[in-house]
Amino acid sequence: MARLLRVDMTKKEVNFADVPEKYSLLGGRALTSQIVADEVPPACDPLGKFNKLVFAPGLLTGTNAPSSGRLSVGGKSPLTGGIKEANAGGITSQKLANLGIKAVIVEGKPADGGWSLLKITPDGAELLDAGDLAGKGTYEVTAICRERYGNKVGVITIGPAGEMCLSAAGVTNNDPDGNSSRYAGRGGLGAVMGSKRLKAIVVDSPKTFDAPVKDRERFRAAAKKFSDILLKHPVTGNGLPNFGTSILINVINEAGALPTRNFAFGRFGKAQEVSGEKLAETAVARGGKATHACHPGCVMRCSNVYPLPDGKVCAPIEYESDWALGPNLEIGDLDVVGRLNYICNDVGLDTIETGVTLGVLMEAGVIPFGDGEAAIKALEEVGRGTALGRIIGSGAAVAGKVFGVTRVPAVKGQGLPAYDPRACKGVGVTYATSPMGADHTSGYAVATNILKSGGYVDPLKPDGQVDLSRNLQIATAALDSTGLCLFVAFAVLDDPEALPAVVEMINAQYGTQLTLADVTELGKQILKTEREFNRLAGFTKEHDRLPEFFATEELPPHNTVFDIKGEELDQVYNF
Amino acid sequence: MTENDAREETGLEVEVRLFSGLEKFFPAAGLGKACLVQVPEGATGSDLIRQLNIPADQVFTMFVNGRHAAPEQVLQPGDRVALFPPIGGG
Repeated sequence: MARLLRVDMTKKEVNFADVPEKYSLLGGRALTSQIVADEVPPACDPLGKFNKLVFAPGLLTGTNAPSSGRLSVGGKSPLTGGIKEANAGGITSQKLANLGIKAVIVEGKPADGGWSLLKITPDGAELLDAGDLAGKGTYEVTAICRERYGNKVGVITIGPAGEMCLSAAGVTNNDPDGNSSRYAGRGGLGAVMGSKRLKAIVVDSPKTFDAPVKDRERFRAAAKKFSDILLKHPVTGNGLPNFGTSILINVINEAGALPTRNFAFGRFGKAQEVSGEKLAETAVARGGKATHACHPGCVMRCSNVYPLPDGKVCAPIEYESDWALGPNLEIGDLDVVGRLNYICNDVGLDTIETGVTLGVLMEAGVIPFGDGEAAIKALEEVGRGTALGRIIGSGAAVAGKVFGVTRVPAVKGQGLPAYDPRACKGVGVTYATSPMGADHTSGYAVATNILKSGGYVDPLKPDGQVDLSRNLQIATAALDSTGLCLFVAFAVLDDPEALPAVVEMINAQYGTQLTLADVTELGKQILKTEREFNRLAGFTKEHDRLPEFFATEELPPHNTVFDIKGEELDQVYNF
Repeated sequence: MTENDAREETGLEVEVRLFSGLEKFFPAAGLGKACLVQVPEGATGSDLIRQLNIPADQVFTMFVNGRHAAPEQVLQPGDRVALFPPIGGG
């Protein structure tokens, strides 16, 4: 019987509770967002005692469903001021599910300011003193915990940025090799964890794939079918395993949608130097890996292991990080990108937000564009807690205000990811309207605009983008509740048998009779819940807009602007 | 052969880039490097792909000047052509 684990940081107590009926068929994002909506006052201070931090495996997590080990982390975001679900790979989610834990809810705030570690094992849970871990980077914390509690444990932790409650701080956990690089990065949930003085959660479970399944035979058949679909699809079965996510650098660059020099251009002359092909070649030549699974049972294995010249290893360099710390800063050197990425992982920062923030600082002239060494030096200040370091750790919108910059690519305070909305308008609609702030994953219209997955909608025209984004946002909210990696969407969009196989797995596991229509309904319900939280937190439709420079500055090479009007954007939520 | 004859014979020149494994079919291009290729007047994307010895079923996306192009699109002098197999990420 699955349980909720409540962790009261005020009293330093842990309690297991039965799962209320209304949560029994929720998982991942559906569950974190519902708990946040039910228990967190929308107008509360994100860093105060009334906010909560919720960790939830997906509905299918902990079974042998392929690529199903994602972890959802939710709370009120200190970056956006709205609801947040950030999603990570890594090994911890499967362990939580195998311990029968449907969600961990961290609440309250200690009066004494002392640091704690939450240890979860098959025997129960306890809070331990973590004074000796405070101030340390995530790689060291993870190594210490693996030595102390066994090298198979999953370690969820924050770095110094989270301890300082900086609003671009993420929550990380480790991959099977102990790299603390699998981030629930976006929205500053690391700062929420820091505000509760929780330095780490160690999860020890001897099992990975044994979460309870009602009808094992039926489940096995559906999981096998879904696995075959993923392996047969050219993207999930071939492109992602061979080149990883950074394979996108070249195609987005050719499409003229690769944001370069803080969203001034859509193409970068040195794109090839930071491409997935180059990354794979260099990684292998240095004894690293071009393909790597972020959690056991993933068939797409899109991660990589990139050895750095200084002997450290950045595993992985993902497309978003690669772009944010590369082309966005006019840096065309993978070793510099890898170094910046490693520092973000260690100090505990979201790579996208950090890259966008450095871009704003370059726009302000604080650091020159293209100057990798200056960027590294500036980023190293975060861990030291200097004034500049704290500005960098507070995200693009704060940096823009401090330095008087108007070209700040952010929506609801969250920096834009790696696709320019003027040359990929569908994802621009998602950036503008997602309850999460500018988030590509919540409605990845790039698939249909540029990668021709799930049909084709011309990326440069406004027509059809609102409908595209709406449908993808609904489907994604549901998918984020299963624990499946979002990348299964490439197969789901193209193969009509894929989604039925997912529903079949859920039905076999839980003994339900869900239909495809129920999945769509779940997605809509999640979005409505999240949007209502944001409304009560003070958001209006005027917050569902892109910064004005996207409507006024033409983006080369296509020389287009973002021309989808406010009233059209408002139609995303007409369901 | 006069200069005019040469032009007639070679048609027009386009700038081709091959990515994500397609470069192995036409090694002269290299990965992602701009490569000038002569094609006959009136040549389409499909003709170009055939000329480069790339199996048609390997090409999933063709950009001409940064825009998706159908295989039957007729190439113009100076077009920037990029060819990709199926890829995804994010």
